[in-house]
Amino acid sequence: MRSVLIANRGEIAVRVIRGVKEMGMRAIAVYSELDRDAIHVQLADEAWNIGPAPAQESYLDVDGIIRSAVEAKVDAIHPGYGFLAENATFARRVIEAGIVWVGPPPEAITAMGDKISSRLVAQKAGVAGVPGTMEPLATVDEVRAVAAGFGYPIAVKAAHGGGGKGLRVVTEEAGLEAGFEAARREADAYFKNPEVYVEKYLEFPRHIEAQIIVDAHGNGLFLGERDCSLQRRHQKLIEETPSPVMTDKQRKALGKAALAVAKSAGYVNAGTVEFLLDRSGDFYFLEMNTRLQVEHTVTEMVTGIDLVQEQLRVAMGEELSVSDVDSRGHAIEFRINAEDPAKNFMPSPGRIVDYREPGGFGVRVDSGYGSGSTVSQYYDNLVAKLVVWGRDRAEAITRARRALAEYTITGIATTIPFHLLALDNESFRAGTHHTRTVEEEMDLDDLQQPSAPILPGDEELAERQMTVEVGGRRFVVRLWAPEVAAPAAAGRRQTPRRRPPKLTQAPPVIDGEGAVTAPMQGTIVKVHHKAGDRVEIGDPLFILEAMKMENEIKAPASGEIVDLRVQAGDRVAGGAVLAIVR
Amino acid sequence: MSTEERIERLRRLRDEHANAGSQRAIDKQHEAGKMTARERVEALLDKGSFVELDMFVRHRARGFSIEDNRPPGDAVITGWGTVDGRTVFVFAEDFTVFGGSLGEVVSEKICKLMDLAMNNGAPLIGLKDSGGARIQEGVFSLDAYGKIFQRNVTASGVIPQISVIMGPCAGGAVYSPAMTDFVYQVEGTSHLFITGPDVIKAVTGEDVTFDTLGGAQPHSQTSGVTHFVSTDGRQAMEEVRYLLSFLPQNNMEAPPFFTPSDLPDRMEEGLTTVVPDSPNQPYDMVDLVEMVVDDGEFYEVHQHFARNLIVGFARLDGYTVGIVGNNPSVLAGTLDIDAAVKGARFVRFCDAFNIPLVTFVDVPGFLPGVDQEHGGIIRHGAKLLYAFCEATVPRVTVITRKAYGGAYVVMNSRSVGADIAFAWPTAEIAVMGAQGAVNIIHRREISEASDQEARRAELIREYEEAFSNPYVAAERGLIDEVIEPRETRHRLVQALEMLRNKRVSQPPKKHGNIPL
Repeated sequence: MRSVLIANRGEIAVRVIRGVKEMGMRAIAVYSELDRDAIHVQLADEAWNIGPAPAQESYLDVDGIIRSAVEAKVDAIHPGYGFLAENATFARRVIEAGIVWVGPPPEAITAMGDKISSRLVAQKAGVAGVPGTMEPLATVDEVRAVAAGFGYPIAVKAAHGGGGKGLRVVTEEAGLEAGFEAARREADAYFKNPEVYVEKYLEFPRHIEAQIIVDAHGNGLFLGERDCSLQRRHQKLIEETPSPVMTDKQRKALGKAALAVAKSAGYVNAGTVEFLLDRSGDFYFLEMNTRLQVEHTVTEMVTGIDLVQEQLRVAMGEELSVSDVDSRGHAIEFRINAEDPAKNFMPSPGRIVDYREPGGFGVRVDSGYGSGSTVSQYYDNLVAKLVVWGRDRAEAITRARRALAEYTITGIATTIPFHLLALDNESFRAGTHHTRTVEEEMDLDDLQQPSAPILPGDEELAERQMTVEVGGRRFVVRLWAPEVAAPAAAGRRQTPRRRPPKLTQAPPVIDGEGAVTAPMQGTIVKVHHKAGDRVEIGDPLFILEAMKMENEIKAPASGEIVDLRVQAGDRVAGGAVLAIVR
Repeated sequence: MSTEERIERLRRLRDEHANAGSQRAIDKQHEAGKMTARERVEALLDKGSFVELDMFVRHRARGFSIEDNRPPGDAVITGWGTVDGRTVFVFAEDFTVFGGSLGEVVSEKICKLMDLAMNNGAPLIGLKDSGGARIQEGVFSLDAYGKIFQRNVTASGVIPQISVIMGPCAGGAVYSPAMTDFVYQVEGTSHLFITGPDVIKAVTGEDVTFDTLGGAQPHSQTSGVTHFVSTDGRQAMEEVRYLLSFLPQNNMEAPPFFTPSDLPDRMEEGLTTVVPDSPNQPYDMVDLVEMVVDDGEFYEVHQHFARNLIVGFARLDGYTVGIVGNNPSVLAGTLDIDAAVKGARFVRFCDAFNIPLVTFVDVPGFLPGVDQEHGGIIRHGAKLLYAFCEATVPRVTVITRKAYGGAYVVMNSRSVGADIAFAWPTAEIAVMGAQGAVNIIHRREISEASDQEARRAELIREYEEAFSNPYVAAERGLIDEVIEPRETRHRLVQALEMLRNKRVSQPPKKHGNIPL
């Protein structure tokens, strides 16, 4: 295997490129038009444009990526995480194209991709999930019956969901119907499938996951657990290994269970088996992630094993380079997201003005951005990952505080201030935090972001065509160079000012009578409502045909139609009162 | 006194004068949800760019013990600064001093500023928050208004003038904003009227509140006095900055160019389906405009007034354009009195300030009705026609669907001076709709037919086939080219590029006589 295409962007593409290069292979990057100058493109040996900014047309474009891979004559494709990493169709297409797929067999992806089928696989391996149903439930009555079996609270979850979407917690029977309907609606909206299942909702659960890797020769290795309990609305923010609450005995049992699940799924390559650990120390199978995880770095820090390189070895059909794991110390990863923690973690895309990474002993930064990079709303908000190592948890925390304080990112809001606050949280320091600690214990309202100097207009790049001669052959190339504009007076804006957002809609109609009038003479061709109906402002009430054109007449205010004075077919004069809405 | 002491004294005076109003008055202003004059100026201008004038001016009025209270700077802050690096002149009436009332020295300060703005060719922005004339100064304060009005008119068409009504503005005071190019009103805190609710109640018996009489809602929707509504003062300042980004500094300058972030030849597939298949179905012209212009940014002027005609600013390939379009989703897109007046004023502004005009036409005619006729649609419709006929800036027209009768001619047709006229294949350029035309032309033939309705339908179909299309007009060169909707943006960019150096001028005259 001599070259690997990385079908991803941002920090994970950078991470994989580094692993590929250290193995002596060529790294081929792909990029969307927006990522033309991204770091992963600069670090790769070769880079291919795969389309416009929207991920659907670039990083999620199966045909386009495979076409580039074939043209670039790559030997293997590494999908990173997200995008196409857990897309069995993509894996199959890669293999059919005669390219090595750096990941598990497509069948295993399919089996573990669905929450219900993955629980069946785990059950076959003798590993129990959280008490609940294995089949999707279609009616509230079924849910009520099941819930009666293990008591409230219960969680209603989208069968094909993830990331907290399509999940509803129901604390008592009274709220069951509403929760069930809401979960189905969200599941349908986000995952195009309204199927939901029900399980016991654990209070104060910890999110523990087991990193495993299996080669094609049947060697399986458990590389320890990761504790991802510090989350916000089911999005991980801080991950660490080892878990501050697990005993060696639990760890051993966890590893055994994880490998058993992998075996039952016919799994090969690196994967992560997720569990929930409750207060009594019991753990339940949650799901399996059939890819490299964002937080794989903490495992690398304590085991000293490069997971990307092991993945490549397994993909080539080689045996794992290690047979035994010797973990040392404690590692913590902090996700540096372009989000404003003080504003409910609202995404803050934009241009990074100043970017300086921390360094020093025991500090690792995997980043996809630098000074001048733009974090686009087209992609996820993960800017970088800060990973620290210490001989024990206390040392890692001290080092983390130092490294976070060194980390400078201005121009966008980031989660750095949040992490500094989390390091002071008593539960986190004691290691007793759980998946709802952020919401319940931390006050993020006053977190301040560092301010950025205001730069005079961004330098815009313009496309130009140029003919060049290389080795006696002429090529037309596209160049992206600064626009040579007429010199402007100092401080003059170069890029168009953007329209400020309107805080509210048009001023409300003050008319207290609530009369709906005909704007012009014409014929009523449709009446949308009956007298007594409740309507919201802007709802269509009538269609008036005038000047051979259908005019929609909308409700000027919200309220009840107390008087309806016309019916379809009536001719009305301009200004005639058609209805009263109060 | 040593030099150092003298400098120290200056510093102290400047500090003291920075806010002439009492703390109590400033607190009251804040409680009313209003910013102080100085806060407004700072929100409007680039940080640190404000240079103040006449901070030491004091009134010299006597009587009613006003001579005992002579605050420095009096009731207005004046000066200049920059917005996005470009110079603007600004005055902000200070409600915390004598209720912002206008007297002799306030007017002197404003007039000095207006003269500077005129002589140096930069926009003038007035932030209005004033109780009206300073009664203690009597007739002098009326003279003070007159001097400002005179300068408003002299500056009209020379520099952009923008008024932002942020508090009361009543009586004669309204006429200064009324003569400026654009009026903003802050919702809830501003009102404009000639006679107030009390006088109206006493004279006509009508019961009205300040808001229903002169608030942002009636003026932006019914009277058309106000062009833009903002929810608060800060938002208003942001919007003024945005508006300025479209405007030149003066009438001798081209509007600003910004490196475009949108492709000049972007094919817009959405335009292919924007016009419904059925001619009876309306669509929103604003959607269409947003698909054509740079980055979908269209700053509508008079967004809530006479919505059957849309006007506003946008950019095409980085250059400012003024957009005028019929909106079929309101009053079927007909032209009426309000729409004609709205359009005429906008067209004349663009013409005065070298902003090319792009017109989108889908107009079934003028709005019929006795109200309209007796209200003077002839006189008012003529304003729009006059404005287009008179305009010498580059003018491009795109006919998307209906273009019937006199309304077609008015809407920047080639006949009244458009430089380039495009039509979509959906265009119907005719004297009137098929039904009306057939009823007139074939009256006898229909009445003699054995099955009148069938014959009528047949004739209508024939007429539609023959005339409800752009090709008859294109045959005569009244349409330069029939284009696919998707290529509209590219065609407009090309046409405007070609017209970049257009040079046409009207014969010398004192001024025309627009039918006012």
